[in-house]
Amino acid sequence: MLFRGQDASLFRMGVAFRYGRAGRFLMRLVLGGLFVFAGTAKIYDPATFAIELERYQLLPWKICAAAADYLPWVEFLTGLCLSLKSFERGALLLITLLLSVFTLALASALVRGLNIDCGCFGHTFASTGTILPILRNLVLLLLAGILWTKYR
Amino acid sequence: MKSVRQAVLILLAALVPAGVTAIVHPRRPPWSEETLAPGEEKLRTVLSWGSVVLWVDARSQREYEAEHVPGSLLLNLEAWDRLFPRFLDQWSPGRKIVVYCSSRSCEMSHEIAARLEQNGISPVYVLKGGWEEWKAAK
Repeated sequence: MLFRGQDASLFRMGVAFRYGRAGRFLMRLVLGGLFVFAGTAKIYDPATFAIELERYQLLPWKICAAAADYLPWVEFLTGLCLSLKSFERGALLLITLLLSVFTLALASALVRGLNIDCGCFGHTFASTGTILPILRNLVLLLLAGILWTKYR
Repeated sequence: MKSVRQAVLILLAALVPAGVTAIVHPRRPPWSEETLAPGEEKLRTVLSWGSVVLWVDARSQREYEAEHVPGSLLLNLEAWDRLFPRFLDQWSPGRKIVVYCSSRSCEMSHEIAARLEQNGISPVYVLKGGWEEWKAAK
């Protein structure tokens, strides 16, 4: 080894710091990019998103219609802020909240035996089922949790 | 507190394009009534078509045998190979196929409708609200 003693431990810390930063950068990009993509897909067709929200049988139609106009823009801006590291804390808070709410809604649909399309990405990836989207959201929540550790 | 402040700013910023969407977007959802998904029809409309309608029940055999729309044919994915020839015996060009499953949250009717169209059957519609809608009306 070229480094000895204190130099070796500083080297290891430097490596860990660099890969930690690279890891966080990738996580931010994945999480933020997914939300930008999801938001864009629903901004393109809010009427279909409203129908998909209504199928969860949790909210009346007017609330679904309003949410279909508003939520995609929240997703888009939140994902953009996280990807660009602008308003990062606020974006991370919103992403955590949104993922939690979406996961609870999916779990509710699963418990009630509803055979529905998640509606997570508009009709870009139309797929019936709730288990895989729940698992995906849990992974994304884990990424968000790791990013939160920066602010401990 | 900084995260809450930033989150509120993002939420407020999203209100502007959302408001524009609600007013001018060509695919904005209507406020007054539910939007029909592509291929869907309301029960009121389907009933007005009269005897030209061929009802297709996309639910399970057990649900179909318990109760179904009078004159409907069972056609689900589980027994497609066995049931589709029976459907073809009853179908003729010019009849309007209306598929239903258990409720408005059920996607099975859309899958059956898509499969029928892939097999050259048209026109095919999906009953908005499904069996629940039929029962509520009767």
